[in-house]
Amino acid sequence: MSGTERAVSAKPGTPAPPSAPGVHPKPFWSFRPRSDREAGDAVVSNFLLHWFPAKTYKPSLDWNYSFWLGTASAALFFLLVLSGLPLLLLYVPSVERAYGSVKDIEFVVTFGSWIRAVHRIAAHLMVAAVFLHLVRVFLTGAYKNGTGRGQRREWNWVLGVVMIVLTLFLSFTGYLLPWDQLAYWAVTVGTNIASSVPFVGPEMRELLIGGRTIDQATLLRFYVLHVIFLPAGLGALLAYHMWRIRKDGGLAKADRWTLGSEKTEAPPAKTKTWSLLGVARGQAPAIRAVTLEAADRTVNSVNDLVRRISIVVLGTFAVVSILACFIPSPLEEPANPMITPNPAKAPWYFLWLQEIVTDTTLKIGSFTINGAFLGGVILPTILLGLLTVWPWLDRSPAGAAGIWFHASRKRQNLVFLLVVLLVLAFTIVGTFLRGPYWNFYWPWQAWPELPTRI
Amino acid sequence: MTTKTDPPAGAETPSAGPNSRRDFLMKAGIGAGVVALVGQAGASLRSLVPNVSYDAPTTVKLGAPVDFPDGMKFLPDERLFVFREGKTFHAISAVCTHLGCTVRAEALSKVEEASVEGKPLRLTHRFQCPCHGSKYSGDGTNQTGPAPKPLAWYHLSVAVDDGQLVVDLAQEVGHDFRLTLA
Repeated sequence: MSGTERAVSAKPGTPAPPSAPGVHPKPFWSFRPRSDREAGDAVVSNFLLHWFPAKTYKPSLDWNYSFWLGTASAALFFLLVLSGLPLLLLYVPSVERAYGSVKDIEFVVTFGSWIRAVHRIAAHLMVAAVFLHLVRVFLTGAYKNGTGRGQRREWNWVLGVVMIVLTLFLSFTGYLLPWDQLAYWAVTVGTNIASSVPFVGPEMRELLIGGRTIDQATLLRFYVLHVIFLPAGLGALLAYHMWRIRKDGGLAKADRWTLGSEKTEAPPAKTKTWSLLGVARGQAPAIRAVTLEAADRTVNSVNDLVRRISIVVLGTFAVVSILACFIPSPLEEPANPMITPNPAKAPWYFLWLQEIVTDTTLKIGSFTINGAFLGGVILPTILLGLLTVWPWLDRSPAGAAGIWFHASRKRQNLVFLLVVLLVLAFTIVGTFLRGPYWNFYWPWQAWPELPTRI
Repeated sequence: MTTKTDPPAGAETPSAGPNSRRDFLMKAGIGAGVVALVGQAGASLRSLVPNVSYDAPTTVKLGAPVDFPDGMKFLPDERLFVFREGKTFHAISAVCTHLGCTVRAEALSKVEEASVEGKPLRLTHRFQCPCHGSKYSGDGTNQTGPAPKPLAWYHLSVAVDDGQLVVDLAQEVGHDFRLTLA
């Protein structure tokens, strides 16, 4: 941390040091530290706590700045890994048995339906949470480097964009595992979008589905992606994402707290001694230091940060666990390559894309561009590309970092919100206003009775 | 140990520097490592590209011509509509050209007589896709919705051995194709 340190000898009369200087006096850390030293010890000696700083700036802990959406997303990810473990032992990734095994999980296995519901609801909430987290970070300009030295917040933002894509791929690969109608037609449409890329598209599709038709190889590929590659990748990026927050000096809101703060004398802290005389006399040198972390601006991470993180994580777990008791997980008919359900709808977080690929087939003269390519590949790529490079396009001053709706970022915030609203509007149209044959129906209009089979 | 002397002018292997033996060995080592990693990664990826395709055969016997009613019959296994008009047959794919869902046929309230590519055609149905709402006319021409091109027409023939109808799902034909039985 900031501040200079200089060792000076302790004043006589200080209490005797522990018998083994330099060793933590107690084998366990304390969640109720009686001193700053004990609070710091917890961070140093506990493996799970070591990724926290010893001190946290108070504004970083505000509920209404970050809404703790990143923490909630991470909690949901951990919950997904945890609830995925029993499912891993119950699910069979075979086209003949996948549907049956999910049906068994749902109707035969004790607590199976609850575990599946926890996994499913956590996945839905995670998509929502990471999306809201992205919106929060954009609107607060938290990807901007503030006043700290060596900050690389823009790269943490890029990591975040990659992580939201991984989250969506995890959801996609997850909901097709039951190998029901939703799954089969989602794979069909999803891989045909990949196939619509000029020149390399068909090869990409063949690589994705392991052949030319959707079959066992397809299920196995998506299964392995879902349980190994994607979670491992997301987990690694998550760790990096967290580490970068510390390297960047905490949340952007805390940046200003370091500005203009006076150097203050920190209370002398005893440290270990290497001198024989020191050991013999029971004197240890003490560190006299000046610090920028004024006591009124920071709190000890143990227990203030730990307490709030625990509230968010356990609260998230509790909400998901309770919701899972009341919201059953759907399971459609077994995959039928011959009949497409009518309407065939993706999960809500992909419906804006489904709506866009519907509307973007363009005819220019005699030349037709498939909406699958324009709306399914080009448009998302542009959106993601813009998101990725935005920190370098944002020319607002460093002082705008970490402030909701800063005046200097008004225009870009409006444009961003407009895009967000468009995505939400498309999602709502896709969810509520599309009926059989993807025709438009108002919610109060009844869908026509159509034969389910031809 | 040995006395270090300046290498004579033109010495080939100085012990340090950009062209020394040590430098060469280091570059060779790193290069070998990179080649090994790239090679293994490439081999792993290549192994995922199937060499053998276990796809269903593209030439399929569909049944005796007498089993096909006048009008339209949907064959779910082949995702194919087979149309019969007296002694002439034609087959239209049920795979939407937008993103590959199976389109559904809807009988027209009134049969239309049309001329498609210079040949008369009786239109009994139209087709709609449940995924993104593409609509096709009775000969498979895309009308509205995101479909970029018409539904495929496939080649029909008669099997030599047992007289069944045979479709070749790998052979697209024009909208003027008809199989006429003698």
